[in-house]
Amino acid sequence: MGHGSRVYDSILQTLPGVDNPTPLVRINRLNPHREFTLYAKLEWMNPFGSVKDRAASYLLRDLVERGVLGGGRGVVEPTSGNTGISMAALAAVLGFRLRAVVPGKVPLEKKVLLRIAGADLDVVNDALCPSPGLGEGSINLALTRARAEPDRYAMPNQYENELNARAHFETTGPEIWRQTEGRITHLFVSLGTCGTATGCGRFLKQQNPAVQVVAVQPDPGHDVPGLRNVEELKVSKLFDPKLLDQILEVDHELAYTRALDLARQEGLLAGPSSGLILEGALRALKEVPAGLGVMIFPDNVFKYVSAMVRHRPDLAEGTAPP
Amino acid sequence: MNTYVHPEMLVSTQWVFDHLGQPGLRLVEVDVDTQAYQAGHLPGAVGFNWQTQLQDQVTRDILPKPAFEKLMGSAGLTAQDKLVLYGDNNNWFAAYALWLFKIYGHQEVCLMDGGRIKWLKEEDRPMTTQVALAEPTTYVAQDPDLSLRARVGDVLKVLGGGAENLVDVRSPDEFTGRVVAPPGMTETAQRGGHIPGAKSVPWSSAVKEDGTFKPMDELRRIYFVDAGLQPSLPTIAYCRIGERSSHTWFVLTYLLGLEQVRNYDGSWTEYGSMVGLPIERGAGDRVQA
Repeated sequence: MGHGSRVYDSILQTLPGVDNPTPLVRINRLNPHREFTLYAKLEWMNPFGSVKDRAASYLLRDLVERGVLGGGRGVVEPTSGNTGISMAALAAVLGFRLRAVVPGKVPLEKKVLLRIAGADLDVVNDALCPSPGLGEGSINLALTRARAEPDRYAMPNQYENELNARAHFETTGPEIWRQTEGRITHLFVSLGTCGTATGCGRFLKQQNPAVQVVAVQPDPGHDVPGLRNVEELKVSKLFDPKLLDQILEVDHELAYTRALDLARQEGLLAGPSSGLILEGALRALKEVPAGLGVMIFPDNVFKYVSAMVRHRPDLAEGTAPP
Repeated sequence: MNTYVHPEMLVSTQWVFDHLGQPGLRLVEVDVDTQAYQAGHLPGAVGFNWQTQLQDQVTRDILPKPAFEKLMGSAGLTAQDKLVLYGDNNNWFAAYALWLFKIYGHQEVCLMDGGRIKWLKEEDRPMTTQVALAEPTTYVAQDPDLSLRARVGDVLKVLGGGAENLVDVRSPDEFTGRVVAPPGMTETAQRGGHIPGAKSVPWSSAVKEDGTFKPMDELRRIYFVDAGLQPSLPTIAYCRIGERSSHTWFVLTYLLGLEQVRNYDGSWTEYGSMVGLPIERGAGDRVQA
């Protein structure tokens, strides 16, 4: 039983931690810098397929421990997909329901997966006229449900709940520290709720203040699910710019190009946000003579086939018989 | 003087909270669709869908008077009620509805400053899914006061912005013509750019982060100093489909107290698609707010 034999009583026991870290895999062909070793941390190896399993388990465990859930009361949460999938699966095991509020532009695969995992869906119309600084439709709709029907819904609120960052402070960060034997010099993350950047960044800098935290973001108007462009980050209370040593903005098209590179050259079937982070890391490394970097790859490419085809239509060419 | 010219046209979320349930006071929520209202709204509020209920569904036009009366009557509203309008997107659609109410002569109507989102973000402000079954009433509207409305013919008379102020409230990229419409928008136009002589003052220049309107001295600076609007001249405001420009129409008419402000509700989806109409591109006069 346990991590040695990989035999468990419940999927919950496979959640990550220092004794059960997600793998760190070295980048070989795509990293031209001989003095800098670059690793990818494969968060899709978590039980429900993404880095969000960490925050979701901390958020929900807290609600369960405080007796907030049950008796007909479930959870409502704004989510671009991964958090919802994690929460829906956790809810299924723990015995309550999740209502996921999802922006319209999220790929079909993610919406269907939420339903497969047992969630109810609210799909929000993307803005009729874009309105910077207004906050997100999905966040506001989830807040509305929790406010209007408090006996039916509790809202963990991944954008504001400190437990999101704490999950990374207590698991992801310590895993990386131990896996790199304390030698990490650079952490590469992308920002959505900013839980990963804040929790991991805080832990690693506590161990070694010289660790550089580099955030890689898509350009405005991007369609990379889960990520926020720098201007959109204000919606997250967990965003802590003091922990970030650099924020790089990368054309979102490169997210898809680099995801293909990772699959075809490293055997890493990584999703678009991972591709974005790789591009940012390689750019940042041009200025760095030596070191050891870890990129946090949030999920794999399996949920993003339609998005990949949209950005790289050549992938669908020749797929019908002649 | 730092108060708005017509401060009675705005109420705060606190005021609304204190007056919930007051007889003769009706709350009206106006959103782009009813999803938000259905998920939760202010107690006692009726909800209108801006797209399907507040516009003629056959001809592109404002609701004709009989349809307006019928809609308001079926929602249990009378022309004597004091109405507080609010909605999502910082009251864009609520402002449009207010413009419509004013066209039909409703006396006492105002906006809840900050709209739905401000209410939501304040702790302990109640919301409900309950929809009270309205007892239908008779709403008697006035004949439409179209002095609040500009048509394309009115705009063409004042091209160049000399005789009247022309205010374009869209984003800078739409104003310059760099984009015809923001990515993913279905209502677009055949060409990008702006009406010759228009000044660019994006609608959001008028509000703070929390969606409430900026104070009077800031609004004066933004519109009169930075954008150079002449308070003595009439004004026409436009955007893409006419709802953001209602928001600015509200600011200019009631907060800044300008006379003869008209909303060009056809806006860029009309002007930018009409054959032969002159279009200007590039920066022109732009305001950073």
